[in-house]
Amino acid sequence: MGVDPVSQPYLPRLLALVLCVSPLSGALAGDPVVTDSRIITEERRLAILETKLASLQQQVRLLEDTKAIERLQQAYGHYVSAGLAQQAADLFADDPGASIEYAQQGVYVGRTRIAQFLSREGARLAPGEIRETPIMQGVVHVAADGLSAKGRWRSLVMGGVHGQDGRWTEGPYENEYVKEDGVWRIRKLHWYTTVTGSYDKGWHKQAYPANSVLADLPPDRPPSQVYKSWPDFFLPPYHYTNPITGKPVNWDY
Amino acid sequence: MLQSTLLRISVTLSAAVWLSATASGQTPPAAPDLSARLSHAAARITAINHEAERITDYNALRNLQQQWGYYVDKALWNEVTDLFADEGTLELGYNGVYAGKDAIRKYLYSLSGGKPGLMKGQLNNHFQFSPVITLSADGRTAQARWRAMIQDGIFGAGSGGNWGAGTYENQYVKQNGVWKIKTLHYYVKFYAPYEGGWTQATAEGAHAYGKSPVKPTRPGSVDYPAYPAAYAVPAHYDNPARSAYRLLPASAVTPTPAAKPSVSDLEAQVRALELKLERLKSFDEIENLENTYGYYADKSMQDAISALFAENSTLEILGRGVFLGRDRAYEYMRRLGAPTYGTLFNHMQLQPVVDVSPDGNTVKVRARLLVMYGLLDRSAQWGDGIYENVFVRENGQWKYQMLNAYQTFYTNYDGGWAKHSAGMLSPFPGYPPDLPQSIAYEVYPAQFIPPFHYPHPVTGK
Repeated sequence: MGVDPVSQPYLPRLLALVLCVSPLSGALAGDPVVTDSRIITEERRLAILETKLASLQQQVRLLEDTKAIERLQQAYGHYVSAGLAQQAADLFADDPGASIEYAQQGVYVGRTRIAQFLSREGARLAPGEIRETPIMQGVVHVAADGLSAKGRWRSLVMGGVHGQDGRWTEGPYENEYVKEDGVWRIRKLHWYTTVTGSYDKGWHKQAYPANSVLADLPPDRPPSQVYKSWPDFFLPPYHYTNPITGKPVNWDY
Repeated sequence: MLQSTLLRISVTLSAAVWLSATASGQTPPAAPDLSARLSHAAARITAINHEAERITDYNALRNLQQQWGYYVDKALWNEVTDLFADEGTLELGYNGVYAGKDAIRKYLYSLSGGKPGLMKGQLNNHFQFSPVITLSADGRTAQARWRAMIQDGIFGAGSGGNWGAGTYENQYVKQNGVWKIKTLHYYVKFYAPYEGGWTQATAEGAHAYGKSPVKPTRPGSVDYPAYPAAYAVPAHYDNPARSAYRLLPASAVTPTPAAKPSVSDLEAQVRALELKLERLKSFDEIENLENTYGYYADKSMQDAISALFAENSTLEILGRGVFLGRDRAYEYMRRLGAPTYGTLFNHMQLQPVVDVSPDGNTVKVRARLLVMYGLLDRSAQWGDGIYENVFVRENGQWKYQMLNAYQTFYTNYDGGWAKHSAGMLSPFPGYPPDLPQSIAYEVYPAQFIPPFHYPHPVTGK
């Protein structure tokens, strides 16, 4: 600051430059940065450091976001398994556009409707009913601004009613999350069923179609995608591109 | 909310003051002097380091419980016991509380004939998933809810194995920088013979899980009914979308005026912090990558899968032999064909134990594979395996350097693992691998422990 670098002796600057690029510099213990304090002033170095700190602060918060989303999504699975419909519904956003959609049952919009669906279907536990819903295999992407996120997960559900034939149901979720007042909530939950099969006979001998619209609790919107469960083949779209090629991945055989 | 509004107002005000000062030709207010900025930067570094520490704790706790699962699978009871703090307790189902490492070890030994290691023909798979982890404010203790799915039994004996499911509510403690289990409590939902499954489950069955002649230290901590009765295991946490809990509390940056850091000191600290966060980021990225692989495998997305492999990677799945390089990985995947009507090829990926190398350039993962296979009207299978994978950066992107999948078993759905176990999947006919299978082993009902890439998380051995 205030020093004209051109008027300074040339040689020391050249030496500093040589040190900087020479293989020797890598061998210098401790601080590998060789700086010319007349050009890169302390003030400038501090400014760079402050910029880095702002970026690191943001990065650590994004890491926290990923963990918070895991916690949120896994709590959903635990509530649904325990038949706690209202608790599961309370995981959804205040945003009136928040929605839930299972299989071919259509879309329920808003927390009140979500709670109705969950207590009627998604998290209902009639006497003797079981719905063990582990959630696994998360692929989570948080937006750079840390305010929204998307996640793919899957469940392998052990279901049925005691004394009857049990059911295996498997399928992926494609969900969206939103940070409201600093708290992560579910903005959209969409569970696709890939396969539902008889426990006693096996899915190869007795498969059931994806659950359809509830006659006594019609959805607010029809299913967002029409598909059939196994034995039909369907690829629930990925919210992300291939992480290496950056290209969307579709079925094109 | 109020705070951020106030902040916004003050920012707007100061910007207005600055603008008017500039407009009127006055000098803008001087920036804080260098030493004040230095101590503020030092305080920020401390704060971010503290936050990174809490993320590190979260990851360590996640790994710990999943490591528990892999040790339990193989009845490695000494390793399991060493996961506990000295004052730790273990409570599995309805068997009471075993307190202290000696009692825990003695109890666990009794579950496999009086010594560690699986008995002949024994299977003891304990899938660990669905964590809800809560770290205390001081970072010294933690609680977590997890879920287990169990496949066990003795090959050729009884009705042919059991399915089990339940919930853990555990406590952990950090001692000398190492996380240990303080209380492990597994609530049985059901434990039922493969034949008939959970809808035929009985309370007696649930009580049989983990049953031992070894007397517990004290009776069970909670009296609860097993399925088919309704029971919700109490959660240690409030609803995450409606509670004030955060993994990272609001950061309080309080500069200590006494500290007189130099720019060079701070630069060195920031470089260390950058590496720390990069490693934490890699932890999440690798998990996404591993799980992405599974979703592609479900649908035989061969092109998409092979793109995930490094140029000089190796691929070894079950007994198929070793395939060298990305192109060969692609050819391998092409062998699997495309799913069509009436085929099911689910490749569920779970329980990843993720370790990022100190330099941040390599990541190793142990994970579990659960295959749900189907051919309409003809056959269905459960397949079970363990991955030990290595990831590296290539052109700045994380990719598979080594994919190793070890076969535990493939069984026909109709009989289950305790009645039928297919042989090792062998090389494709007429399509030899580049190298033979790298580790010779036999599949279940023989016993094999796929080598662990990590030392014991508590003893370091």
